[in-house]
Amino acid sequence: MSRARNRNYRQRVDQALASPRLQQALHSFGDAYVVARENAFAGLDFEAMRQEIGAMKDRVREQRQELVAEFTRNAEAAGAKVFVARTAEEANRYITDLAVAQGVKKVAKSKSMASEETHLNRALETAGIETLETDLGEWIIQLAGQRPSHMVMPAIHMFRDEVAALFSKVTGKAESDDIQHLVRVAREQLRQGYFEAGMGISGANMAIAETGGIALVTNEGNARLVTTLPKVHVALVGLEKLVPTLEDATKVMRILPRNATGQLLTSYVTWIRGAVPCADGDKELHIVLLDNGRSALAESPQCRDALRCIKCGACANVCPVYQTVGGHVFGHIYISAIGVILTAFFHGLENAADLVQACIGCRACVAVCPSDIDLEGIILHLREVLGEEEGIGVGKALVFKHIMRNRKLFHSMIRAASLLQKPVTRGERSIRHLPLFFSSLTEWRTLPAIAEKPLRDSWKTLPQKVENPRYRVAFFAGCLNDFVYPEMGYDLVKVLNHLGVEVLFPKEQNCCGVPALYSGDRETAVALAEQNITAMLADQPDFVVTTCPTCTMSLQRDFLELLKDNPVWADKARQLAAITIDVSRFIVDVLDGRAVFAEESVREKVTYHDSCHLKRGAGVWKQPRELLAGSGHAVVEMAHSDRCCGFGGSYSFSSHPDIAKHILNDKVLDIEATGATCVAMDCPGCIMQIRGGLEKQEKSVRAKHTIELLAESLE
Amino acid sequence: MLKRFTEALSKVGGQAAEVATVGEAAAYIAGHVNGTVLLPSQPSLERIALAAELEAAGVKVVRESWREHAAAANAGVTGVNFALADTGTLVLESTAEALRLATTLPEVHFALLDPGKLLADSLAAIPYLRGFHERAPRNYLAYITGPSRTADIERVLTIGAHGPRQLHVLLMPGLSTDFYEL
Ligand code: SF4
Ligand code: SF4
Repeated sequence: MSRARNRNYRQRVDQALASPRLQQALHSFGDAYVVARENAFAGLDFEAMRQEIGAMKDRVREQRQELVAEFTRNAEAAGAKVFVARTAEEANRYITDLAVAQGVKKVAKSKSMASEETHLNRALETAGIETLETDLGEWIIQLAGQRPSHMVMPAIHMFRDEVAALFSKVTGKAESDDIQHLVRVAREQLRQGYFEAGMGISGANMAIAETGGIALVTNEGNARLVTTLPKVHVALVGLEKLVPTLEDATKVMRILPRNATGQLLTSYVTWIRGAVPCADGDKELHIVLLDNGRSALAESPQCRDALRCIKCGACANVCPVYQTVGGHVFGHIYISAIGVILTAFFHGLENAADLVQACIGCRACVAVCPSDIDLEGIILHLREVLGEEEGIGVGKALVFKHIMRNRKLFHSMIRAASLLQKPVTRGERSIRHLPLFFSSLTEWRTLPAIAEKPLRDSWKTLPQKVENPRYRVAFFAGCLNDFVYPEMGYDLVKVLNHLGVEVLFPKEQNCCGVPALYSGDRETAVALAEQNITAMLADQPDFVVTTCPTCTMSLQRDFLELLKDNPVWADKARQLAAITIDVSRFIVDVLDGRAVFAEESVREKVTYHDSCHLKRGAGVWKQPRELLAGSGHAVVEMAHSDRCCGFGGSYSFSSHPDIAKHILNDKVLDIEATGATCVAMDCPGCIMQIRGGLEKQEKSVRAKHTIELLAESLE
Repeated sequence: MLKRFTEALSKVGGQAAEVATVGEAAAYIAGHVNGTVLLPSQPSLERIALAAELEAAGVKVVRESWREHAAAANAGVTGVNFALADTGTLVLESTAEALRLATTLPEVHFALLDPGKLLADSLAAIPYLRGFHERAPRNYLAYITGPSRTADIERVLTIGAHGPRQLHVLLMPGLSTDFYEL
């Protein structure tokens, strides 16, 4: 990884983290967005709608050549000219040449991310042509000499006083920072521009093959002026905007504003086909279809779903990383989850390298994407590609390759570490300070000590009293449960025995492979998958039960994916996936065990934190709440219960501890606000993070795994 | 369906008013306008001789040289092809440039709609959308949902951006039954 690039990136992260006003704005925007979006989809089936969009967009990808031909034929029959630009340069050249040939001095633009992508303004200005952005947000950005920090709201990072200062420079008098007033100033200032411009440039939200027309989904009304007043209209449209029919276009129109801003529909949807009347004659309409990496994206089986994107911006709105650092850090031209992917294909892997690491993997974006894109899965794949191209760092590579893959060596090293840490823990269970250069690790959260005796070593001594067990299950503990929190394993045995289930601990189980996979070391992940499949299936258990949803996801999803092309292993991976289940769901859905914990009196006021991989990976969130409420706890909901806690494994240790810390602080505030004395969750990683934050800030709230609380209730 | 339409319209900041006669329509417009009015030629509005009524009500009506007058006009008056109830949307076949100027540049847009020309939603509008495309080789179709708006500064919703700041929908029964006519 290039040092200069990395330094520059680190600086931008630091700068963003030092802007509480920006974070506050993005947080409150995110909150308002969630509510507005929910209202907008009331009575509609979002899942069905997005699957339809996804399937339609896949057809478009497969038939793109035919559709381009159909679109071109129909558009040209209506008097438009269509040009397919293979690269950004080709698109810019076509448009500037056209402007120069027509003697255009000034261009009026409505919002177009594609023109940001190609740096069209720069190209036009180099050719001596003045560009005027007429979308309010884009104009603000243009005056400030910046780039958009959000795809739908380009100036979301700016504040009214900054806008007033910019506008004052334009008008030459002091403008007040009243927002109504500022909007009026923009309206008046930009008016003349539409009349003066010889060319209007727009983007398009849909290009409809059936008609050869384009459609624009907008609010401000400037796009209607840009496409009406100037003599020449150029629409710069990404190839992925093609849709086959008016039905398909209408479906996009129905979901896009709802998911972008929580509007049922934007103020304007403008359907333009062909060279329509303009002044005394006809308009000249040019449609530039932009490839610029889209065909390459279509050819990548792991990434091509990103072409389904309809640019609603939702993946930014809900992303904890975006909310913490904004789009100028977590983005290049395109921002947030989709930005990471599009940057890699449109602007080069080099420009995406830092962004790929900045995603914490919480899958909040996946849950709201109206095009049904597994954004997090694709980002993960890009991380692998980068790992292969740039390397994952010598230290990490060494650990993964030579240590983790050798289970005995790996585990004996953890045991050794447990002894080494003694001087710093002084017999306590958490590490509050570390000597010298390690100390930054415990600056903002305490860290748990490695257990003196891992779960695997004390398993034999655990008494199991189950006669005629209902089920025999194998416990996949994962590293944290095994080596850091063995007591969770004791509790699991206690609870499951009580429910008539016998628990086995296959000794050959190893790390689930997520740390390696998420760092881009696929080879190690494959080796670990094979080891674990053998270990977990050996005793032919009825189920494989987990306490860690990241492990669950690994066993259920990643192993399948890693081994799908291997005839020997694919089938075994499927077998394991089919019987893997996290413990709360097992107790509720398989054992129907709620009644066992029934309790009349109120035990404790508990709030519940939804772990990313449990809720959005396994779809489990009701079950633990039912168990907690059923076992006599007063469950109070915290705000943003399913927002990431900022753990993310190595994310919070090495890659982005600074961002992780901010996300954790948000979580601690939400927990505290409930007044609960305990926060429950179903993930040892989240426990490590949240307990560490609560302890460091000396809060009197305990953080517990649901299984621990259930075990307590049996006492 | 009409109730759904007017509710949705008011949610997006538009106003609905019922008018029984062309005289009432002209009086409503006269009472809400503050300057000249652009009135492009449209079959339904010609039929009820709205221009004459407006002039009789003291409104200065512009019926030509659109580009010259559009920027300074206070309002535009149009018919509506049909409307969508669930979102409060007006559909205007705006291929004639005068129609676009009248609905983009002025501060106020008055739209006369026959309440019989309502569809449930945008899915129901697709056959008509296709119909427009079949009837004319080139077109500029507008779905208009409330006045123009922006939330680009601090995400504060502000009604009235670059397009009209007010949208008045005058519901006038008996105006037109033809979905392809303005
Ligand atoms: S997975 Fe989470 S952190 Fe990563 S891009 Fe999506 S929302 Fe952001
Ligand atoms: S990836 Fe999905 S959520 Fe993100 S902008 Fe595209 S469509 Fe919207």
